[in-house]
Amino acid sequence: MAMIREVARTRGAARERRQGDGRAAALFLAPWFVGLVLVTAFPLVASLYLSFTDYSLLEAPHWIGLENYTAMFADPRFFQALKVTFTYVLVSVPLQLVAALALALVLDKGLRGLAFYRSVYYLPSLLGGSVAIAILWRQVFGADGLVNQVLAFFGVEGVGWVSHPDYALGTLMVLNVWTFGAPMIIFLAGLRQIPAMYYEAASIDGAGRWRRFRSITVPLLTPIIFFNLVLQLIGAFQSFTQAFIVSGGTGGPVDSTLFYTLYLYEKGFSSYQMGYASAMAWFLLLVVAGMTAVNFLASKFWVFYDD
Amino acid sequence: MTDAPARTAPRPSAPARPTLSEVAATYPERRPRRGRTRAAVRRVLRHVALIGFGLVMLYPLLWMLASSFKPTELIFREPGLVPTEWDLGNYTAGWNALLDPFSHYLLNSGIVVLGSVLGNLVSCSMAAYAFARLKFRGRNLWFAVMLMSIMLPIHVIIVPQYILFSSLSWINTFLPLIVPKLLATDAFFVFLMVQFFRGIPKELDEAARLDGCGHGRIYLRIMLPLSLPALATTAIFTFIWTWNDFFSQLIFLTKPDMYTVPIALRTFVDATSNSSWGPLFAMSIVSLIPVFLVFLFGQKYLVKGIATTGIK
Amino acid sequence: MRVTTTRAARRRGVALVGLTTAGALALAACSGDSGAMPSGDDGGDGGNVEIRFAWWGSDDRHQTTQQIIDLFEEKNPGITVVPDYTDWDGYWDKLATATAGGDTPDVITQEERFLSDYASRGVIGDMSGVDTSEIPEDVLSTGEIDGTLVGIPTGVNAYALVADPQIFADAGVEMPDDTTWTWDEYVDVAGKVARGAGDGVWGAQDYGFNEAGLNVLARQKGESLYTADGTLGVSKETVAEFFQTSLDLMANGGQPDASRSVEYQNAGPEGSLLGTNAGAMGVWWSNQLGALSDASGHDLELLRLPGESQFERTGMYFKPAMYYSISARTEHPEESAKFVDFLLNDPEVAALQLTDRGLPANQSVREAILPELTAADQKVADFMAELEPEIVDNPVVPPNGANEIQDIMIRINTEVLFERMTPADAADAFLKDVGAAIGG
Repeated sequence: MAMIREVARTRGAARERRQGDGRAAALFLAPWFVGLVLVTAFPLVASLYLSFTDYSLLEAPHWIGLENYTAMFADPRFFQALKVTFTYVLVSVPLQLVAALALALVLDKGLRGLAFYRSVYYLPSLLGGSVAIAILWRQVFGADGLVNQVLAFFGVEGVGWVSHPDYALGTLMVLNVWTFGAPMIIFLAGLRQIPAMYYEAASIDGAGRWRRFRSITVPLLTPIIFFNLVLQLIGAFQSFTQAFIVSGGTGGPVDSTLFYTLYLYEKGFSSYQMGYASAMAWFLLLVVAGMTAVNFLASKFWVFYDD
Repeated sequence: MTDAPARTAPRPSAPARPTLSEVAATYPERRPRRGRTRAAVRRVLRHVALIGFGLVMLYPLLWMLASSFKPTELIFREPGLVPTEWDLGNYTAGWNALLDPFSHYLLNSGIVVLGSVLGNLVSCSMAAYAFARLKFRGRNLWFAVMLMSIMLPIHVIIVPQYILFSSLSWINTFLPLIVPKLLATDAFFVFLMVQFFRGIPKELDEAARLDGCGHGRIYLRIMLPLSLPALATTAIFTFIWTWNDFFSQLIFLTKPDMYTVPIALRTFVDATSNSSWGPLFAMSIVSLIPVFLVFLFGQKYLVKGIATTGIK
Repeated sequence: MRVTTTRAARRRGVALVGLTTAGALALAACSGDSGAMPSGDDGGDGGNVEIRFAWWGSDDRHQTTQQIIDLFEEKNPGITVVPDYTDWDGYWDKLATATAGGDTPDVITQEERFLSDYASRGVIGDMSGVDTSEIPEDVLSTGEIDGTLVGIPTGVNAYALVADPQIFADAGVEMPDDTTWTWDEYVDVAGKVARGAGDGVWGAQDYGFNEAGLNVLARQKGESLYTADGTLGVSKETVAEFFQTSLDLMANGGQPDASRSVEYQNAGPEGSLLGTNAGAMGVWWSNQLGALSDASGHDLELLRLPGESQFERTGMYFKPAMYYSISARTEHPEESAKFVDFLLNDPEVAALQLTDRGLPANQSVREAILPELTAADQKVADFMAELEPEIVDNPVVPPNGANEIQDIMIRINTEVLFERMTPADAADAFLKDVGAAIGG
C-alpha cells in the first residue's frame, strides 16, 4: 500500500517538473500579485496621472500636460534638493554599511555578552524616527551641545553643527550612520549563514584569519552586501523623517537639508501642488530605478551565488 | 578555495568517524603561555572599546532617559545627564495624558504590528520562494516591477491609497495597515528572503525532489527551517518599522481611540501651544521597551544558522 | 537525504500557513472600531446625528476639548461629536488628504494662513447660521473673505514682546518704557543687558523668523504685509529695515550668533532664550506667556513692541488665534452650526478652556472668565485690554499661499543671520518669493 502511494507521489513530482514551474509560481505568487494590482499598481498609476495635472488636494485635479515637469527643471530649489540628496546618499550610505559590517564582524565571534552588545548597538535605530530625535540631536550637535563641550576640553572651539548651513547636512549623515543597526543585523544573519565547516576546513589547511576573511567570508557574504547596498541606497534617496524632524520641517537652515522627499512633501501638502509633487516622485523613481539597474548589472562581477 | 566538505550524512552509529573539530583538537596547542595573557589583555581591551563606543552611541538615549525623570521646566534649563530633581511625575502624567491610558495605544500598536509580522512572514516568504527557486516566464521582469514598488515615496501614493481605502470603507480601521502586509507589498523582505534562499545549496532541493517532494514541501520543510535568520530578521524589522511608522497611521486612523503609539507620542508636542517634553520622553522610553525586548529575545533566532540547524 | 512527510504532517503545514493568515486578517478586522464610519453616514438608531470635529494641539488641549464635547453631548442628546485631533504638523496633511478623499470633517479648526486656501476652493462654507452677536465686528471681519464669513475667530492673540524683569535687574538695566521706545532703543537696551549680564545671557532672541513682526513694522509705517486684493503691500525699504535690526543686534552682542539663533528658534517656548533664563526679551504671541513663564520660572511681563509711538500710527493688532469653520459639504449643517455656537458662546465652555484658544472673542464670556485666569493669563487679559484702544485696524485675511510665507521667512532670515545675504538682497528675495507664492 505504502509503496503505491510512494510511486504516485514520485510520478506527481516528475509531472510537475516537466510542466515547468508555472503553476507552482502562480500559487506562490498569488498574494503578492493581488497586492501588486490592488495596493501598489493603482496608486502607482494614479500618481503618474496626477503628475500631469494641477492638483491641490482640495479640488479635483485638472490636466496641464507637461507643465509640472518643465517647471521642475526650472526650479532652483529642485536642483538644491537633488544636490543635497545625492551628497547625502553618496557619503552616508557607504559609511553606514562599513560601520555595520565592521560591527557585525566584531560581534559575530564568540564574545561574552554578545546579545547585550548587539542590543546596545541596535538601540539607536529604534530612535531614528522618533519626534524626540530633534531635541536629542540638538543636545549633541548644538552650539552648546556635547560635541562642542568635548571639543572645548581639547581647546577647540566648535560651531553650531546642527544649525549651521555648511554642517547641518553632516549631522544628518552622522544620524544615518548612527542608525546602522538594521544593516548590521542583516550582516550578522548573513555571517551566521556561512557554514562553520568552511572555516574549519580552511584553518586545517593553514589559512590565517585575514585569508579566511578574504576567501570565505567576503565571497559568501556578497549576496547580503549587495542586498544591503541596494536597499540602503533606495532608502537613503527617500530619506525623510530625520530631515523633517531635525530641521523642523523646513529643510533648513537655508535649504541645506532640503532632502528630495522633504521638498516633495512640502510641495504636495504645504503648497497644495500635489501634481508637481507627483512629477517629482516619478523623476525620483526613474533615478532610483536606473541606479538599481546599474547595481544589478554590476553585481554580476562581484556577487557570488551558490546556484 | 577548498572543496566543500562532504555532505553525506554520518552513519547512525556515531563514534566511527571523528568530526573536523575533533581532528583539529588533537593538534598540539601551539600558543605559549605568554601569548595566552596577551590574548586575555586583548579581550579586555576589546570589551572596553565596545562598551566605550556603546556609551557614545547611547548618549542621546541616556539623555532622554535622564530627562524623563526631570520635571518639564528643568529639562532645558538644566540639560545635564544627571537630574537634580528626580520626578516620576512624567510617567504618570504621560500615561494618563490622553483620552485613554497609554496602554490603549500600546495595545493598538501591538495589534497592527502582530498582524503585519504574520502577514509579512507568510506572504513574503512565499513570493521569495517563487522568485528564488521557480522558473517562470517573465521572472526577471516581475522581480524588477516588485523592486520598483518601493521606489515611490509614500507621500505621493498615500492620497490614491486613501481614496482607494475610503471607497472600501476601510478608513479608521486597521485594515489599510495590515492587509497590504498579507499581500507581500513589502518588497524589502521579499528581496531579503530571495537573497537568503539563493544562499541555500540547490543540492538540498534536488535531493528532496528525488524523494518525491513537490514545491510545497520543499518550501515548508527545507527553505523555511533553513532560513530562520531571514525569517527572524523579517519579523524583527517588520515589528520595529511598523511600531514606529507614523505617516500612514496618521492618515488612515482618524478616531483617537484607534490611535497607535507614534501618533499618540506626537500629540505631546505642539509648536503652537505648550509642549509636554517630560511626558513625551517618558512615554517614548515606555514605548521603546517592547521593541527592545522583542529584539533581545528575537536575537536567539537570528543566531541560528546552517551550522546549528544542521544539514542532516 | 531522506525527507519524509506523512500526509498528516503536510496537512499540518498547510493548516499552519492558513491559520496565520486567518489570524492576521482576524486581528485587522475585529479591531476595527464599532462606531459608524465618518464619511457622512447617519448612525441609524433613533435619528442620532454624528458630526466630526477636527482640531490640533497638545495633550492638555485634547483633554479639555473632550470635556467640552462631553458637555455638549449632555446638553444635546441626539448629536454625537466624533473627535479628530492631531498635532499641528500632522493636522494639515491629514485634513488635506481627508478632503481629497471626500471625508472632510464637519467642524474644522482653521488658521489664518490656510483659511483662504480652503475657502477659495469651496471646502469651507458660509457660517451665517451661527450667533455672532457678542463678537466685536473688527474681530469678526478677520474671518470674512469677499464679504462672506467663512471662519469665526475663537479668540484673539497679540504679537508682543515678552520681557524677564529678573534678568534686567540682574544685569543692572532698567526695564524699558514700552509706550515710547523706538527700534533703536530696543537694540540699545538689548546690548546693555547682554553686557551687564555676562556670558551666556543675551538681551533678546532673534525676531526675524516670524512674518508677524514684519507686518507690525509695516503697519507702523502705514503699509501692510498683504493688501485687500491679495498682493504684497510692504515696501522693499521696510523689509530691509526689518532684517537690519537683527544684524545690529548681533553686532552689539544683544542677540546670540546665527547658529544659536536658529537653534533657539527650533526649540519652541520651552527651549527659548526666555525659557532657559538665557535672555531678557523675546517676541511671542500673547497666549504663549503661560508656557514661557512656566519654563523660565520667573514672572514674565508683556510689553508693546518697539516703535509703536515712533511713527504715524501703531502697528500692533489682534490676530485670531484660530477659527472654527464648517465644511461646505457637510451633511449636517444645522448640528454643526449648533456645535460651533456652543463652542463660542457657552460660558461653561470658556470656563473649561480659559485662554487656551486665545482670549475669547465673545465679550461677555471673556468678562465672565477673567477671575478664573491664572496669573500669567490675567496679565495677558490686562495687556490686551490696555492695547485695545490703541489698535487702529486689523489686518486682512492672508491670501492663498500664505502658509508658505513662514518657510520663506525662515529661509531668508537665516541667510541674513549667517551674512550670506545683505538686508537689501534679502528684501528683494523676500518680495519675489512671497509674490510667487501668493500669486500662483
